[in-house]
Amino acid sequence: MAEEVNTFDKLLNDLALKIMMVDPGDLSVVGDLILDLENLDSTPDITAKFPNLKQMALDLRVALGKIVMTDIDDSAENFDIVGQCIGLMEEVYRKDDNDPESLASFNNLLSTLSSSSTAPENLKDSPSEEQTDNPPAQSPAPADSTPATEAPDKPVILDTKPESLDFMEDMELLSGFIEETREHLDSIEVNILDLEDNPGDMEIINNIFRPFHTIKGVSGFLNLTNIQALAHSTENLLDDVRNNIRAMDESVIEVVLKVGDCLKLMIDNLQDTIDNGAESYKNYDIANYIRWVKGVQGAETTTEPATATPAADSAAPAQAQESAPSAVTPPPTTAPPSSPPPKSSPAPPAPPNTAAKPKTKAKKVGATIKVDVDKLDGLVNAVGELVIMQTMVRANPHITAIADPKLNKDFGQLFRITSELQKTSMSMRMVPIRQTFQKMIRLVRDLSKKTGKQANLVMEGEETEIDRNMVDSIYDPLVHMMRNSVDHGVQMPEERERLGKPSYGTVSLRAYQKGGYMVIEIEDDGQGLNTEKIKRKALERGLIQESDNLSDHDLNNLVFLPGFSTADQITDVSGRGVGMDVVKKAVEKLRGKVDVMSEPGKGSIFTIRLPLTLAIIDGIIVQVGTERYIIPTIAIRESFRPRREDYKTIKGQGETLLVRGNLIPIIRLYKYFQIEAKCTDPCEAIVVVVESEGKQRAIMVDELLGKQEVVIKNLGGITDITGVAGGTILGDGRVGLILDLAGLVTAKMNYNLDLPAAVSKDSPAIEEVTEPENTADSEKTTEPEQIS
Amino acid sequence: MAAEQTAVADSTENGLGGKYLTFSLGSEEYGVEIMKIREIIGIMEITAVPHTPEYIKGVINLRGRVIPVLELRLRFNMATRKYDDRTCIIVVEVNGPSGPIMIGMLVDSVSEVINIDSAEIEPPPEFGTPTESENILGMGKIKGEVKILLDVDKIVGAGVLEHLEASA
Repeated sequence: MAEEVNTFDKLLNDLALKIMMVDPGDLSVVGDLILDLENLDSTPDITAKFPNLKQMALDLRVALGKIVMTDIDDSAENFDIVGQCIGLMEEVYRKDDNDPESLASFNNLLSTLSSSSTAPENLKDSPSEEQTDNPPAQSPAPADSTPATEAPDKPVILDTKPESLDFMEDMELLSGFIEETREHLDSIEVNILDLEDNPGDMEIINNIFRPFHTIKGVSGFLNLTNIQALAHSTENLLDDVRNNIRAMDESVIEVVLKVGDCLKLMIDNLQDTIDNGAESYKNYDIANYIRWVKGVQGAETTTEPATATPAADSAAPAQAQESAPSAVTPPPTTAPPSSPPPKSSPAPPAPPNTAAKPKTKAKKVGATIKVDVDKLDGLVNAVGELVIMQTMVRANPHITAIADPKLNKDFGQLFRITSELQKTSMSMRMVPIRQTFQKMIRLVRDLSKKTGKQANLVMEGEETEIDRNMVDSIYDPLVHMMRNSVDHGVQMPEERERLGKPSYGTVSLRAYQKGGYMVIEIEDDGQGLNTEKIKRKALERGLIQESDNLSDHDLNNLVFLPGFSTADQITDVSGRGVGMDVVKKAVEKLRGKVDVMSEPGKGSIFTIRLPLTLAIIDGIIVQVGTERYIIPTIAIRESFRPRREDYKTIKGQGETLLVRGNLIPIIRLYKYFQIEAKCTDPCEAIVVVVESEGKQRAIMVDELLGKQEVVIKNLGGITDITGVAGGTILGDGRVGLILDLAGLVTAKMNYNLDLPAAVSKDSPAIEEVTEPENTADSEKTTEPEQIS
Repeated sequence: MAAEQTAVADSTENGLGGKYLTFSLGSEEYGVEIMKIREIIGIMEITAVPHTPEYIKGVINLRGRVIPVLELRLRFNMATRKYDDRTCIIVVEVNGPSGPIMIGMLVDSVSEVINIDSAEIEPPPEFGTPTESENILGMGKIKGEVKILLDVDKIVGAGVLEHLEASA
């Protein structure tokens, strides 16, 4: 039962997360969604327990199918409706709601989805260049009459049949190209956004030009004609910019960004092709893009009426293409534009101020090598072992008996070397968070365009290092929080001015290390959380009582509970009925924490605290009987020896502890794990109060042994043990188990307590007497058996 | 030399001939293909893992790797016995769900490595209950003694370690 509920939970969460991330035109995510819904549908017992949910999943799947078949537009509005549908499903699941009415309202929602498919294609007359407009999905390429500066939609897939996949022949080369190109595209994006602030900085333009050139070259070599053509035309455009034939302006930036997106899509498809075989190859129609790029290239050149590029047509650029590849000028890092470009262009030499800017923008990058992650992990493990072995040797009684100063000195030296080695090997797995942060620049830029808000992104601490394995997992929560800050936090410019704030909102993204944790802060100077509204909503939902005396800070942090979105207006950007709980879950999975501080009218700060690495956990070692367990420090609230008067039983079945007015259930770890413990009376034992997923539990242990950083290992094939997250090698070489608090907190404590009588006021004495007898008995009885 | 060649030729017939490590559980002698064995270690302290079947004794630290150990006596529903200085853990490598995994088998004592021709190996006897013989490769008969040749992949391999809680 518990397992099934978990699957539902997981699948619904997954759905919620995906719908948040979906972008119009991104059909692969829709495919994932359908898959999830199928999984949900086929979960055993769904029919019995949640008939509503099953029907909903079925209906939604059909609707999504229509989106894929382009019967319904994959517009942002429609995805909003899908998002709301998923929100409803979560609601139904949470409330265990089998009311036919909710099904009806769900279907109503879905029907709005279908009807919107008839919306006219309004791309042509829309002044917006945004791709979020209803794209005429499979329409042919716009005619020549289309204004050349208009952005094309997502590339149209011409057909999925490979025309020629000879590039598949050298897989190694191809996957190398994919990886390389992704890096290039990332750097292009960062640089072009940089250029927005420093237009005319030749160094940056070169930094954009070069990767395009590389992509063009390699794709040509691999016979990836589409990619080559697109990269080529963009390179030409940039070449013109470089040579001052054309000024760097908004339209160029826009086109390069969009081309980057398109290339990314194609590269992703290539990866898909490698993974799933040639059938998944899609032949994208990039004619639109090329036309657009050429249009921009031909349009209003600021310097001189371009005789070299007559009418925005194909002839001139085609000629220019011929000479472009040879025009790879060495990066003019120092020199002013010395020689005119090889092309016979009428462009005057660049104004000195653009090129002469000796801004040393180039960040210093040391030489690097790529290493297989497995090798790296092997090294880290080996070093961990070395450290443990060293401690064991040092603790060997024969060694400690030797009173040799030389030996002591040598041990000291050895210790220094090993700890240095450990530090270095750990740091090899760390990468700066810069790349993740830089993706946010684009996000904020697009968001402010979409919402009509003006937001500045200020970043600090991009150098802060984070475990490589964490980078991917932190991206989605971060995106969600950024969206939240821009969409809900920052107000509209007019309103900001009315409040006496600068019309530009500022969103700060900070990263720093603090006490063994990596902290990421997202601060906005917007309206802050509406604490009153949160309180009202929490009361409505019965999450809190009026009598609960919660501080504003506590109330604000309720936004991390499931199903908590206070936005009245569901927008394209956020507030699709799925809330910050998804963020919280994702962060907790990384053993981190989220918190929000907010001041009404001034803004809010969201804080994510993450462990520096996933390989090591900071834990408290506790002893229960002969076993030692590790409890992750981050989840521990406090630990103490309970007082008798705070210990309460409930109906003789449940045990709780009164801690500062809260009744916290007690977990008798030894009972749950079926081992012998020294202390069976809670008031003699130590309890460790832990919190996970918002629930607190008091775990009963014999004693606390100390605090230690331990390396997490899996149990060599043993999986799915509730309450055990993994193992580690303790200082003496034995294995200690790391407790999985999320599992413990949700697990059913169905052990037999049988102590309502035992733990009354005078019982400790009895317990003490009986307990040793018990163990002695068990030893006596088991020993002969073992011998026989 | 010639003998070895015949052994190799034989082993290609039913694929069972070859070198086996033999060990004892009580009065019974067992054999495990030598290629499956990684190492043999003496008994060491085992950390119990809760909510696992009784035959899974727990996990040990094998030079930095955490590996599970199961007691073969309990796996075969035989009575357990007090560990002594002859008690051994045979570490075998078997196919797990995601690549090979190492597992320790706790046995009474390790005997020797012997070469068994496939001609000397008979199919497992039929007890009427198929479950009893399904993890036996065959019966090796050497010098009048019978060695039970085990299929370690079936005994400790795939499926044995997953979803323990459901089966426990």
